[in-house]
Amino acid sequence: MSKAVIAALLERFPDAVYQPYVGVGGDACAFVQKDRIADVCRFLRDDPAMDFKMAPYVTAVDYLGANPRFEVVYNLVSTSKNHRVRLRVKVPEAELSVPSITPIWRGADWFERYCLDMYGIQFPGHPDPRRLLMYDEFVGHPLRKDYPLKGRQPIIPEREIDDLFRGPGPAGRS
Amino acid sequence: MQSNDRQMPASDLDAPMPSKRMVLNMGPSHPAMHGVTRAVVELDGESIVQMKLDIGFLHRGFEKSCESVTWNQCFPYTDRLNYVSAIMNNVGFALAVEKLCQLEIPERASWLRVIGSEVHRICDHLTLIGAMGMELGAMTVFLYAIEARDLLWDRLTELCGARLTSSYCRIGGVARDMPEGWDQKVIQSLDRVAELREEINGLLARNRIFMDRTQGTGVVTREQALEFGFAGPCLRASGEPWDLRKASPYLVYDRLDFDIPVGANGDNFDRYMMRIEELRQSDRILRQCFQKIGPGEIIASDPRYVLPPKPEVYGTIEGVMHHFKIVMEGIKVPAGEAYSYTEAANGELGFYVVSDGGGRPYKLGLRAPGWPMTASLPHIMKGKLLADLIPTFDSINMIGGEVEQ
Amino acid sequence: MAENNANVPSAPPAVAPKPPGPPPPKNPGMVTCTIDGREVISKPGTSVIEAAKTIGVEIPYYCYHKRLSIAANCRMCLVEMTNAPGGKLMPACQMPVAEGVAVQTQSNRVLDQRRATLEFLLLNHPVDCAICDQAGECKLQDYYFQHDLKPSRLDVPKVEKEKRVVLGPLVVLDQERCILCTRCVRFMSEVAKNPQLGVAERGNQSTIVTFPGKPLDSKYSGNVVDLCPVGALTSREFRFAGRVWFMSSAQSLCTGCARGCNTFLDYMSESTYRYRPRENEAVNQEWMCDDGRLSYKSLNVDRVLAAREGRGEGKALPRQEAVTRAAEVLKPLAQSKKLAALFSPVASLEDLLSAAVVVKEALGLTRVYVGGRPDGWQDDLLKRADENPNRKGLELVAQAFGLELRPFSELASAVAAGSVKGVWAVGAEVPDLAQAPGFGKLEAFVCQAYGTNALTPQATLLLPAAPHSEMDGTFVNFEGRAQRFELAYWPRGASRPHWALAAELGAALGLGYRWQTSRELFEELGKRLSGALGDFQWDSLPSVGKRSGLTPLQAGTVDGRLPGYRERVAPEVSEDARLALVRNP
Repeated sequence: MSKAVIAALLERFPDAVYQPYVGVGGDACAFVQKDRIADVCRFLRDDPAMDFKMAPYVTAVDYLGANPRFEVVYNLVSTSKNHRVRLRVKVPEAELSVPSITPIWRGADWFERYCLDMYGIQFPGHPDPRRLLMYDEFVGHPLRKDYPLKGRQPIIPEREIDDLFRGPGPAGRS
Repeated sequence: MQSNDRQMPASDLDAPMPSKRMVLNMGPSHPAMHGVTRAVVELDGESIVQMKLDIGFLHRGFEKSCESVTWNQCFPYTDRLNYVSAIMNNVGFALAVEKLCQLEIPERASWLRVIGSEVHRICDHLTLIGAMGMELGAMTVFLYAIEARDLLWDRLTELCGARLTSSYCRIGGVARDMPEGWDQKVIQSLDRVAELREEINGLLARNRIFMDRTQGTGVVTREQALEFGFAGPCLRASGEPWDLRKASPYLVYDRLDFDIPVGANGDNFDRYMMRIEELRQSDRILRQCFQKIGPGEIIASDPRYVLPPKPEVYGTIEGVMHHFKIVMEGIKVPAGEAYSYTEAANGELGFYVVSDGGGRPYKLGLRAPGWPMTASLPHIMKGKLLADLIPTFDSINMIGGEVEQ
Repeated sequence: MAENNANVPSAPPAVAPKPPGPPPPKNPGMVTCTIDGREVISKPGTSVIEAAKTIGVEIPYYCYHKRLSIAANCRMCLVEMTNAPGGKLMPACQMPVAEGVAVQTQSNRVLDQRRATLEFLLLNHPVDCAICDQAGECKLQDYYFQHDLKPSRLDVPKVEKEKRVVLGPLVVLDQERCILCTRCVRFMSEVAKNPQLGVAERGNQSTIVTFPGKPLDSKYSGNVVDLCPVGALTSREFRFAGRVWFMSSAQSLCTGCARGCNTFLDYMSESTYRYRPRENEAVNQEWMCDDGRLSYKSLNVDRVLAAREGRGEGKALPRQEAVTRAAEVLKPLAQSKKLAALFSPVASLEDLLSAAVVVKEALGLTRVYVGGRPDGWQDDLLKRADENPNRKGLELVAQAFGLELRPFSELASAVAAGSVKGVWAVGAEVPDLAQAPGFGKLEAFVCQAYGTNALTPQATLLLPAAPHSEMDGTFVNFEGRAQRFELAYWPRGASRPHWALAAELGAALGLGYRWQTSRELFEELGKRLSGALGDFQWDSLPSVGKRSGLTPLQAGTVDGRLPGYRERVAPEVSEDARLALVRNP
C-alpha cells in the first residue's frame, strides 16, 4: 500500500520525485529534489488519500567523499492509512539548505534543529534556527564524518550571570 | 459631583499595579525536570507567557559513539537511551540491523524479546506513575511504584544480569535464555505488581487533588498531537488509536491477544490512565507469553552474524578464527539503509541504520519517542498555569537519555 | 585392356579433409575469455587470477604472488574451466587465459573445493589466534570467514612442531602455523637472489628450514614476514609489540637511503611500530631492505622533544623563546662569512625550501654546507650507498635559490680554523661525527635536530625538530623522483617540523612569511623549483581515510584494513578547526 503512495507522488511530482525503490524489508522509498521537498510534504499531508498527518522523523547522513555530500531523510507515517514512506533529499555541501517543513508539521522543529546542530544543514523557513543539543559557541558540527570522535573545543569565556535570566544563549535572547 | 478621578485616585488600592513579567529558570538540576532539562519560563503572574526549553545537558554522543564501535558493541549504548526500559531499545536496534541483514531470528528469541520488552514497559510506566504522583504530592504512590518496579528489576537481574542496563539482545537473537523457574517467579511478581497497581490507581484516579490538577491540564487535541509527532500513550490519550504492535506487528505480537486503550480528552489525566491501562495489558501479554513460549534456540545459527559456541572457540582453530573475525572486525552488515520501528513504552522508537558494508555502523539515527512530546511542550504550555507544567512534564514521560541521546 | 590397367597409376589414397583450425581470436592479439559470465580481454599469458582481478573478481590464494614464480601448491585458487583436462578443477594461478574459455569461480563445486582446502589447511593449524601477530591481517582468518565458516571435524590431536625457531636476526619461525606455501623459499631464491630457505622433511612433517647451521641473514629477510600469509614467519622486532587493528597506517617513505622505498608507517598514538613496504612498481616493487625496515626506531627513541640552551645539559626553554634567542644570536653574525648554514639531506623538500629562504633573505648567505649520513653499503636490488633520502632535493633547492653547496669537511675545517663563528644547522646528521667535538668552539651553534647524536650536545641552542613521520612533505630520490609522504601523528612534545622552525626563525629575523601548513609553503616556494620535479603534484597522496563512492562505501585505510582507533584529526577537517584543535605549544 505504501508503494501506491510513491506511485502517486511520481505521478503528481514527476520532476521532483525520482528514483523510487523498494528498500530492504519492503520499505517504499524515493528521492526528492531538494527545493521541492516542502511541496511534496504538503501534498502528503493534505491529500486525503495520503493523509500523512503525523510529523515525520527527519535525520541527515553525511556521505563524506560522495557528491552531493549530505542527505536528509524523511520517514513519514500515516496513522489513518497505515502507510510509511521514506523520502531522501540529496544536499550538496555548496548549497547546504533544505526548505523547512516545520510550517507544515510543527513536530519537525527539533528534528531540523538537530540536523542543523549536528551537520550544519540550514532550513530556511524554520521559526527558530539555532543549535539544539550543543551549546551555542560550539565550533563545528559533531556528526560530520570529518569531525573527530574525541574533538577538543576552544575554551570559551563564561557567560555573565545575568544572561541566565535572559534565556539560553545569545541566539535565544528576545 | 464629578471629581477628577484621574488626578487623584480614591485610594492606593485602586491605583493600577505595575506588573513585569518574571523569567523563571527551572533546571537543569531540578527534581521535576526529568533527566536534566532547562526550562526558562516567562511568567505573567502564574500564567506562562512563553517557555523555552534548553536541552543538551545529557547529550553523550550516542550516534557518534555508535559509528566508532562494532554493531554488537552498540547494545550498551542503546541501553542507556531510555534507561528505564532498556530492553526495548535493545530490541529496536536489533530489529533494525536484522532488517538490514535480512536475518530471521528463532521463535524462542522473539518470545524472549517480547517478554523482556513488556517487563520493561511495566517498569517504565510504573516509573512515570510514581513520579507523577510524587511531584503532585502523593509520596506514597511513588514508594508503591518503586516497590513494584524493584520486584521486576530483580526478575530482570535473573534474566540478563542487570536491573537497568540489560544489553540483553544480540544481532540474531538474545544473549541468554531464561533461567529455570523464572517464568513462575515473574508471574508471582506480576501478581504483586498488580496488587500495587490497583492500590496506586485507587489512591490517584478518584483523588480530588489529583483529578483537579490533571484533568483539563496539558490538553492536546488529536490534530495537534499528530502534528507534533506524538506517538505511543500520549497520542492514544488524545484519541488516535495508533499502536505499532497492532498496526505493523513485529516479533510475536500478532499472536498475542491484548487491547489498546484510547483516551478521549488528551489531558494529563488521560495520559495517566493510559499508563495504568497499559500496565494491565502488559500483564495480560506477559501471562500469555509464558504459556505460549516453546523450546528452541535463542540465537540464529547464521555463522556470518553470530558467535560460535565457546567450546569451539577454545578448542578449534575454526572457532577461534570465527570468533576473532566477528569480534574484532564486527559483523559485516550488507551495505544499505533501513528504518525500523517498534512500540516502546513512550511511543515509536525508530532506528535509521545506514551501513557501508563494514563492521561498524555508518550512521545510526535514533527517533526517540520522547522527542516530539518534549519539543511540543512550549506550544502546549503557552498561556497555561505554571502549576500545570509539572503534571504535563510528568505525563509526557520525557526520559533524558533518549531525548538527548 | 589389362595393359591399360597396369600402366594407369593408381589415384593417390583419399586424404581426409583437414579438421578446421581454432577460430580466429575475437580481439586479435589479445585473448578473450569469460569469467563468471563476464567477458575479459587480456594479453596472452595472463593467468586467470590476474585476469579476474581486472574485472573485480577475487579468487582466493595463498602461494601465488604476482612477483614470484608459480608453485600452485596451496590449491585454494582452483576454479572450473571449460578447457580443463578430465573435467578437473584447475589452479587459476597457473592456468593462462585461453580464447573462448568460460571460467566459473562461484559454482558449487568450486565453493566446496575451497571449503575442503581450507579444512585441510586448518587440520593441523594451532589454535594460536590469541597470541599470533598475524591476527587481524591473516589470510587464513579472512578466507575462513569469506569461504568456509564450517566448524572443525577433527577429533585427533594436531601435529606438533617447533614453535619459536629463530631463523635469523630479524625472522622467527613458528613451524606449526606454516602452511607450506613456499612463498618465502621462492622469494629468497628469486628476488633476494640468496636461497637461504628451503623445505625439509615430507608430508605433514614438512617445515621451512635454513641450511643447518646457517642463519637467514640476507639483507632482505624481512620481506618474508610480509609475504607469509599466516603467522609462521614473524618479525622479531615487531613480535608482540602491538595488535594491528589498533594501529593506523600512514603512507610514508623509508629514510634509510636515497631510493625512498614507499612504506606504510604503522603507528598507534604517537609511536611508530613498524614499516611495511607499499607497492610502487617503479621504486621498490613490493620490497624493502632490512636496514630500512628497522629505521623506524629512530622515530621513537633518542628524540629531541624540548628546546635547550647551553651545551651539554643546558637549560630547558619553551620553544618559542628558544627560537627568539636563536634569532638574537644569529643576527649579529648575519651577512658575513662568520656564519655558516649546514643543511642535512635528511630534511624534506619543504624543510629545505623554508630554510633556504631564511638563509638567502634573512641571513644573507650564499653558500650552504651539506651534512647528511655517511655512505653505506649498496647492492643492485634496492639499497643505495647514499643513506640520505633527499640529497637530490637539496641540490634542486640550492639550484633554485642560487646557493652554493660545499661539503661538510670544509665546514669542519673552517670551524677548526676559527673562521666560522656561528653555524645554523637544519638537521644534525653529519658524515663525520668525529668532527663533532670541534663544534664546541663555536660561539653560536643553533641546531635543529629530531634525534640526539654526537653533534647535538655541542649546540648552544638546540631546537626540537620533527621527523618525516610528523609532517606532510616530499623527498626527492636519487633518480629525481619526488615522492610525497604524509603525517602520521602530530609532532611530539614541543617539536615542530624543520620548516616550521625555520619559518619561526625567519619571522624573528624579520621575514614576512607566515605559512601554517607545508602545503602553503610548497604552493608559494615550490614555484621556484620551476619544473625540476616534472609532473609532480603535491596533492598526489590520496588522504588516508577518505571514502569514495556511495554504495558500498569503503571502510578502512588504503591497504584495505580497518582503521583502528584513530586519534588524529582527519585531513579533511578545515584548517581553522584543525589549528584550533592542535595542542598548545
